[in-house]
Amino acid sequence: MASCNRTVTRQVTATGKKMFVYYYMTPEPVTITSESTVSEATDIINRHGFRHLPVVDEQMVLQGMVTDRDLRSVCPSTILDPGERKNILARVSRSFVLDIMSKDFFQLQASATIDDALQLFTNHRIGTLPVVNRQQQVVGIFSLNDMMAAYQKLFGLGERGSMLIAIKDSGKEGILGVLAKGLDEQAIECSRLIRSPGRPGHEPAAIYLRVNTCNASLVHRVVEQAGLCLLSPKNPADGGNA
Amino acid sequence: MTSHKHITIVTDSSLLDHDTGGGDHPEVPARLTSIKEYLSASSVFSKIQYVTPDPATRGQITSFHTESWLFRFEESVLSGKTYIDHPDNQIGYESFELAMLSAGTGISAIDLLEQGETECVFCLTRPPGHHAEANMPLGFCFFNNCVIAARYWQSLGSQRVCIFDFDAHHGNGIQSAFEHETDTLYISIHEHPSFSYPGTGWAEEHGQGAGTGTILNLPVNPGTGDEQVIALLDGPVLELLESFKPEAFIIAAGFDGHGEDDMSGLAYSTNLYRNIGSRIKQWEKQFCPGHVVSLLEGGYALTALAPSVEAYLDGLS
Ligand SMILES: [Zn+2]
Repeated sequence: MASCNRTVTRQVTATGKKMFVYYYMTPEPVTITSESTVSEATDIINRHGFRHLPVVDEQMVLQGMVTDRDLRSVCPSTILDPGERKNILARVSRSFVLDIMSKDFFQLQASATIDDALQLFTNHRIGTLPVVNRQQQVVGIFSLNDMMAAYQKLFGLGERGSMLIAIKDSGKEGILGVLAKGLDEQAIECSRLIRSPGRPGHEPAAIYLRVNTCNASLVHRVVEQAGLCLLSPKNPADGGNA
Repeated sequence: MTSHKHITIVTDSSLLDHDTGGGDHPEVPARLTSIKEYLSASSVFSKIQYVTPDPATRGQITSFHTESWLFRFEESVLSGKTYIDHPDNQIGYESFELAMLSAGTGISAIDLLEQGETECVFCLTRPPGHHAEANMPLGFCFFNNCVIAARYWQSLGSQRVCIFDFDAHHGNGIQSAFEHETDTLYISIHEHPSFSYPGTGWAEEHGQGAGTGTILNLPVNPGTGDEQVIALLDGPVLELLESFKPEAFIIAAGFDGHGEDDMSGLAYSTNLYRNIGSRIKQWEKQFCPGHVVSLLEGGYALTALAPSVEAYLDGLS
């Protein structure tokens, strides 16, 4: 693990707690101390199929990170002759995690948002981040998979009993209010409403609704009555969904 | 064979009495009457005989559903509720009895086939069933007519039952009934769950544990037309059927993928249903002659529904 030791912190507010990594991380992760041997670390990583292991002191304060790559890089190459390989292996297995761990690493405060994690993941090509409290004690691990699960929850992907309605955004003033009122009047439960400006030439500006009903006809009518129309659902591969 | 008619339609006029409250609910009695009317004026009419079903027994219903759901359903109806769990699932006083009768259409159809009374049978029924889960209603569905029919057929000795579902929506209830089993197969072509109700039926779901390989979800994007569906039928669907070798087919026949039906974004033509019917006829010949039952699921645009059912029956017979 390279680069600077930077912490992402945000003030926690009472609202919108779903946006925080704390609610999606794996709590109480397996950790190791810096005095452990490399072979102990290798053992844990192999046994659990981890790729990252937080290194902590007795108070669970984060000291560093050790990755499967760190461990592999100190292991002797298989192309060495058996005798030499054995020597190196013996030496490595006696060396300590302290010697190989990264002391420069990214971490997330428990108060960080999943968007903070997304920034780190995409800008630094990281796959896993340790999560610490104010005392720098490790309270969790947040992985790319956890982040995808978090966004899946937030956007309601695969929520049984729902469907997604894509609407061309007219940009008209107050249009969201009109739409929401129409849905309310028909007692259509809307669990997500996302407005996206799109990308010129790629994606049109759109309003996405996730509604909990199978009565698509009724939803379509509300959309029409709001003066909006559905996005023509063409396959992107067939020339874009303009 | 005691009859020279080629198509038997199992239906009952009392199924019209399942009251979905009028107003904006698309699952209306006129769905059945419009089909009947259209058929009476069509060229397949001379081949059709109508038969009334017996209601399913409690035991047949609980071959899939939980007792607690039956009680809850019955209680909701008796207490005068207008829907269960969600306004989609509208009910009236007769809805419990009529859901039992609707589930009975598939069972009666199987009896007719087994007794050699017919070669081709279509259940013109409502409420539909493929969204219903073991313990809850969903998307207009209360009892899972197809699964209940499959269980009945299995009890008569046809173990290897395939449910093929061409409704625009994924039959989540059928999948959850079958996904751990080795002897049953569920194949569904439906609008992609990223867009469509009920948000289930992902391509990567193939069944679980011992049942791995017995679920085939073929989601298609909004705008999909006939060609792509036919390619699926003649490609992955046939391939899986050849390895599974079904002893019986139950068809979840939904017509809401029609281009005129705005309950989905699919763009099927009326004629596609003729092609689907004729493919099913071929499969029947190849795998299990005299062992196909079709049950009406969705289909809400009345002007498209009736001709689509006629085209399907024409292809099937
Ligand atoms: Zn449907």
